[in-house]
Amino acid sequence: MVADDTERNPDFDLRHPRPDLFFAIVFVSILATAVFASWLPLQISIVTVFLFAGPHNWFELRYFLMRLPVRFGRSRNFFVTAFVGLGVLTIAYVSLPFIYNAHLWSDEAWSTIIAGWNTALLVWLGLLIWLRSKQKPRTNWTWTVPAGLALASLNWLGPDFFSLALVYIHPLIALWFLDRHLRRTRPEWLQTYRHCLLLLPFVLGGMIWQLSQTTALPDSNGLFWRITQHSGAEMLPQISSHLLVSVHLFLEMLHYGVWIVALPLIGGLAGARVWDVKTVPVARHPRGFPRVVGALLIAALAGVVVLWFGFSMNYSTTRDIYFTVAMAHVLAEAPFLLRML
Amino acid sequence: MKAFLFACCLIFSASVAKADLPKPQQPPQRTARESLHTGMEISTDPKAYEAKLQISESSLKELRAALDGAPGNGPIVGGIALSPPRTIIAGLLMFLAISIAGILLARSTSFGRTQKTVGALVLVAVLIGVAAIITRGNAGPPGSYRWRNLPQNLAEGKPTFGGVDIEIVPDSDSGAHIRLVMPLKKQ
Repeated sequence: MVADDTERNPDFDLRHPRPDLFFAIVFVSILATAVFASWLPLQISIVTVFLFAGPHNWFELRYFLMRLPVRFGRSRNFFVTAFVGLGVLTIAYVSLPFIYNAHLWSDEAWSTIIAGWNTALLVWLGLLIWLRSKQKPRTNWTWTVPAGLALASLNWLGPDFFSLALVYIHPLIALWFLDRHLRRTRPEWLQTYRHCLLLLPFVLGGMIWQLSQTTALPDSNGLFWRITQHSGAEMLPQISSHLLVSVHLFLEMLHYGVWIVALPLIGGLAGARVWDVKTVPVARHPRGFPRVVGALLIAALAGVVVLWFGFSMNYSTTRDIYFTVAMAHVLAEAPFLLRML
Repeated sequence: MKAFLFACCLIFSASVAKADLPKPQQPPQRTARESLHTGMEISTDPKAYEAKLQISESSLKELRAALDGAPGNGPIVGGIALSPPRTIIAGLLMFLAISIAGILLARSTSFGRTQKTVGALVLVAVLIGVAAIITRGNAGPPGSYRWRNLPQNLAEGKPTFGGVDIEIVPDSDSGAHIRLVMPLKKQ
């Protein structure tokens, strides 16, 4: 991978803490995040999405550009499948609210549409896994076939729950990225990081224990209602919405923390000057595309500013639009994560 | 001969006696109809003059749908709707998943016989577990667990949150008023 040569920066090593200090930082961060998410979930959710949603997408885009090879070579089929699927699935997902608002479909038909989109997502992932496994003959990923079929089956039984599961699982993918990144760039921290990950089930268990008996969050205004619905309050009425929003917010904050803080600092992006297009391998290479990369990053930066402006003007609507369009970045994570496996 | 007659009498009397048995009582028909499973919070308000029953708009909407004959909610939630086409597709996919997983496990050379047996057992256990959750087997502790601290919380003025089944019962059963039945044991 061309990007690897920018990730090891000897000068930058001096700024990094020792593994035990790294553990302390991650440990305190996880606990502090859990406390804040449990304390004022609605308020902190609003502030967190306002401040970090856009920037985290910018950092994610830059990270993906860093990992993009200059020439696809024998990975051509993989990347073509990835980008075509990404485009088709995103367009289909963005069009779903319009279909819903047209009131052309019954509830049952609507569930079938959702199940269909989820199945298309699973098929796309299956294709990517198959293409990737062809490049790694030593690995055996055939188990993903029955796993994918089982997931598709569960999806058809409860399409809404499958979609809700994506909402909760997606933030955890960032932790997987970090794991793979540490393995490449800071292997001495990997074990410490995995010990920190073991803390997560206990923190989540503690949150569930503490918040399961709490009263439901007020959803009297449109914004609070949207936040609770996003966390699945309507689908899981027997679970306190305070618990749902807090757990989701906790995972989202970890997700933002990984993309905005952890990966740039550890991966050498900070040392490599994030604003400098030439630090992206696909732009720096003699046969690269500096203008395209520069334009993409500037456009994404403009998108962040527009998002902040939109949040300031009409937070609820902007939030709705953001979480619909943001499906693109959720999907984009899949091929790049597969490339790292 | 005497023995034969005695046996005949015994059988005949038994038949007569059996015929005299009253009809077995039919189990009383369940008159209540479970319409909706949702969450409920019981809280106190020292400033209130009257007890209030507040129902969220979404719950009311679901209740209306249930009363109108829409399928009732399952133990997990209503999202697992058992629509025939979707259930057929799900069943076919699950069949394929289990079959392929079994074939892969059987053909795998990297696992020993014991590991394969354990794998197959785990697979079956997961399958049964998922089936139990999807059908009527409620996962997790019983609903009464969440209400166990209700008396104490009421005394302390704290709210208590738990699940509730909303049932529609005939007026003769309820006395034409709303009744709240809490799953609490005598303490």
